[in-house]
Amino acid sequence: MDEMRTARLEAAGVDVEEALARFMGNEALMMKFLLRFPQDPSFQQLKEALARRDAAQAFAAAHTFKGVAGNLSMKALFRQASPVVEDLRAGDLASAEGKMEALEERYRQTLEALSSLE
Amino acid sequence: MHHSKSETLLVIDDEPINRAILCNIFESQYNITEAEDGLAGLAAIETYGEKLSAVLLDVVMPRMSGIELLRRLHQDGLMEKIPVFLITADVDSTTMREAYELGVIDVIFKPVIPYVVLRRVNSVVELFQARRRLGAEVERQRDKLLLQAQQLAEMGMGMVEALAAAIEYRSDESGEHVRRIHDITCHLLRRTSLGKGFSENQIRLIGMGAITHDVGKISIPDAILNKQGPLSPEEYELMKSHTVKGAELLARIPQMRELSAYRYAYDIALHHHERWDGGGYPDGLVGNQIPIWTQIVSLADVYDALVSKRCYKEAFSTQVAMEMILGGQCGAFNPLLLNAFRQEEPSLRKFYSPAKGGTSNG
Repeated sequence: MDEMRTARLEAAGVDVEEALARFMGNEALMMKFLLRFPQDPSFQQLKEALARRDAAQAFAAAHTFKGVAGNLSMKALFRQASPVVEDLRAGDLASAEGKMEALEERYRQTLEALSSLE
Repeated sequence: MHHSKSETLLVIDDEPINRAILCNIFESQYNITEAEDGLAGLAAIETYGEKLSAVLLDVVMPRMSGIELLRRLHQDGLMEKIPVFLITADVDSTTMREAYELGVIDVIFKPVIPYVVLRRVNSVVELFQARRRLGAEVERQRDKLLLQAQQLAEMGMGMVEALAAAIEYRSDESGEHVRRIHDITCHLLRRTSLGKGFSENQIRLIGMGAITHDVGKISIPDAILNKQGPLSPEEYELMKSHTVKGAELLARIPQMRELSAYRYAYDIALHHHERWDGGGYPDGLVGNQIPIWTQIVSLADVYDALVSKRCYKEAFSTQVAMEMILGGQCGAFNPLLLNAFRQEEPSLRKFYSPAKGGTSNG
């Protein structure tokens, strides 16, 4: 991976070295999942479930979202998604919603960094 | 350790990225099977069973969660047989505790760190492999020991049989005598109500005991054993002592006591000349004080002696022999035993092949 790409991902909060280690140094496999990240429906599902006030679905979506972010070592995103998951596990919709704006902003930045990779 | 890739790993996770990461970690060492939720995982476990070296299980999944699957595996008793690792993103203490209680080998947190997962899973797989190898080895050793014990027992019986035959030769009998007593005794136990309550194994042991019924004759001088014509009262007393001597002889062989046939053999040697009315020897036992198996051997002994040629007599025909026994000329027998004997006598003749010359009429 060239330095430019690495720098962009790092700026978006991705720990490239750690992510690569998780994929056992298999860069192609890591890139496949990084580039697939924008199509992952879990963030959208989280927003929709919150709008419907469906705590169970919101928890499931947030949990999945956090998992994917964690696997790709999107450290900043993972850090911000974790408390949302815990709020929803406890059924606290209001508290989760309060954290959504910052989370969405971080999500948008991550997508931007990824789009510049292609 | 797993160079051959003969081990199979099952990865159960609904997220493709999680499966991809785990597969990527293990695919150089294991054959990998994937399942997308708990239900599909259960189906895979039911298919592969103990062929699975390990299961890597996610917790939050649609259709059937990891915990629900664990409960099911626990209920089916599979948790001791297959190592299951819970791979979870949540440091939720209640889930973790239940998982351990249900028997998971270890809990690994997501996002995973490859060298940690690899090390933890491999250690457990190797442990289970070693355990299986040891179990198989113990089983092999046990089979070997059992076989040796059986061979020893057979050799012991072979020796006893040889001894019994040797004693028969002394009294000019062919050695066929003990074989026939064995056959007649087993036949009556198997084919008539006399054998009710006896297992096939017990019948086999009684048959062995029948073979040594006359071992005590080894202590009787040739002059008496092979005397043609009637014995004097003193000689007869000495002859009668073969029962007690035989029982003493068997009791003195230490290994003999270990054989399950011993209790039958001892009693048969001691009491095969007792009679139903108390008119026999050495103890003058009456009726069912004489065990039924010893009663059967007594009758078989008398019948065989009658239809065979002996130094002191010619052979009688089977018809005459039967009449003599039923008529009480050879001492009193249990009426039930006589009944069974009368009914089976025709089929006992098959034990006397004409070629062996044991009987007058074949």
